[in-house]
Amino acid sequence: MLIELKGVHKTYDNGQPLHVLKGIDLSIEKGEFVSIMGASGSGKSTLLNILGILDNYDEGEYHLAGKLIKNLTEREGATYRNQMIGFVFQSFNLIGFKTAVENVELPLFYQGVNRHRRREAAMAYLEKMGLTDWASHYPNEMSGGQKQRVAIARALITHPEIILADEPTGALDSKTSVEVMELLTRLNREDGVTIIVVTHESGVANCADKIVHIKDGLIEKIEDNRQHHSSVFGTTTIMK
Amino acid sequence: MRDLLQEIWESLRRNKMRTCLTGLAVAWGIFMLIVLLGAGNGLLNAFLNDGDSFASNTMMVGGGVTSKPYDGLKQGRRIRITDKDIDILRQPRFADKVDLVSTSLSRSGYTMTYGRRYFNNVSLNGTLPGDVEMNRVQMLAGRFINDRDIAEKRKVIIITHLHAKNFLSGDTDYDKLLGQRVKVGNLSFTIVGVRHAEENRDDRSLYVPYTAVKAIFGLGDEVDDITFSFHGLTTEAESDAFENQVRTAFATAHRAAPDDRRAIWVWNRFSQNLQMEKAKGILITALWIIGLFTLVSGVVGVSNIMLITVKERTHEFGIRKALGARPGSILKLIVTESVLITAFFGYIGMLLGMVACRILDATVGQSKVEMFGQSIKMLDNPTVGIGTALGATIVLIIAGTLAGIFPASQAARVKPIEALRAE
Repeated sequence: MLIELKGVHKTYDNGQPLHVLKGIDLSIEKGEFVSIMGASGSGKSTLLNILGILDNYDEGEYHLAGKLIKNLTEREGATYRNQMIGFVFQSFNLIGFKTAVENVELPLFYQGVNRHRRREAAMAYLEKMGLTDWASHYPNEMSGGQKQRVAIARALITHPEIILADEPTGALDSKTSVEVMELLTRLNREDGVTIIVVTHESGVANCADKIVHIKDGLIEKIEDNRQHHSSVFGTTTIMK
Repeated sequence: MRDLLQEIWESLRRNKMRTCLTGLAVAWGIFMLIVLLGAGNGLLNAFLNDGDSFASNTMMVGGGVTSKPYDGLKQGRRIRITDKDIDILRQPRFADKVDLVSTSLSRSGYTMTYGRRYFNNVSLNGTLPGDVEMNRVQMLAGRFINDRDIAEKRKVIIITHLHAKNFLSGDTDYDKLLGQRVKVGNLSFTIVGVRHAEENRDDRSLYVPYTAVKAIFGLGDEVDDITFSFHGLTTEAESDAFENQVRTAFATAHRAAPDDRRAIWVWNRFSQNLQMEKAKGILITALWIIGLFTLVSGVVGVSNIMLITVKERTHEFGIRKALGARPGSILKLIVTESVLITAFFGYIGMLLGMVACRILDATVGQSKVEMFGQSIKMLDNPTVGIGTALGATIVLIIAGTLAGIFPASQAARVKPIEALRAE
């Protein structure tokens, strides 16, 4: 098991305690393509934060690649995020004053990889994304789809255990959304990358082989979607 | 390191105007510090330039008038110091500390003639060879009085470069005068040396052998004073104790009360020098403090700007952390940025301050004021040394670190979850 969650609880306490996750049990194997779906307030973002070691949880256990992720120091958290998790965000989260290739390099910079090897690896991933010509462009010179592909290259560069994508198509039009999801699907099929996509769009979720439905802090059901017939709008479009 | 600098350069480039304005405050602070210290040094040099005209490890002993009865003798008795008193300093109890001993016997009011040129009212200063070191006599040509001059009571003379220049009609090849004869009063002396004289001061004495003066004028063994140099004393307390020992010895020899400071006066140049150094230290410290307080406003400015920068970059730091940046690496980034801003603008301020000191030197430093019948420089060499520049560099680095540490800890505390917050 790559990811194993057992009875994970999370309560936010902003004046009034808010029990967001009420005991999540979830297992994800290496090489799976999973989407987590749920309405806003369902707890899916909180689950993503915990999976991404961006936030702590109160009860239960979370094992990632055999390591118990609990009560980590900031330093340990940073190291695990750097080595095991690749993030793809809704708003791309590229650093504006860095070029595409510099953005892709950044995770390797925090691993202490030298300049030359960093640049080489980053260029290889940009090529894979079809963005070689855009390497020295700044994010504000690129389209949304290009930016998201840069972000995916950045997520892949450290060979992480999982790619965590938080609404990866949220800021894209439907055509680009399809392209990005196809890209993620290909990465999963061809390279065996484990991908977890958090979304509220059924078309996006439909790309995954397994759909985890979250409702009121609990897993409502886990749907086997290997046939990709989950979307009411068909299997090849994403309804915006 | 290169990566770090590149990151900082990118960040600064985006906020040129803001960075420059902040830097201005730092530059101003260091500028003020350097100018203050430079002017302070100039003032000290101008007013304390006596300090280097004699060796500081010397004391001068002279005779005065007793202020109290002692040993059956009434007060008001004049004490005559003689050349026999030199032997007191050669006693075993002083021998391990005292090095050179010299004495002086001067006679003034003579006219010195060289060919057609003459000087009125010159004074002859009979002295011993040790004087050259103790009074820091700077020889420009020839030699000072030596032991043979003393033993043979030779009529040799050391004139000042001011006399020599006049004799040579403005020429400065003083060697030409060596071996020439000058007349002082009715006596003929051979010039054996030319010394430098402080133009600002009434420093025109002609040095001749002590024994010659004594013989020529048929004087007894009374001398004006006895000067001696010593070693092995470090603190003011030690120096004062030694001074009292010397006074007691002289007083005992002359049957005066050992604590009668008026009967035997001692000019303790060592203690005086220590006090002067202390006063100098206090003044310089005060100037540093004023300068540093000026710098504080600059440091607060940098800190403030860094805080704003950190606030603006919260999302970015969140992204960096999500990608695996450790708190330490973000801390380092901000502190280094702060140190670089401070050091860069600080150095500009320091350079400008040094230029200002040079300008001060070229203008005010060259003007003189009349005071007590002497012309005194307002400022003498109002510049700062390499030590001050190094000190200021250390101050800048510390200041930059202090300015950066608070904003940096704010930045390091940014949660990686900030990355998920849409802008």
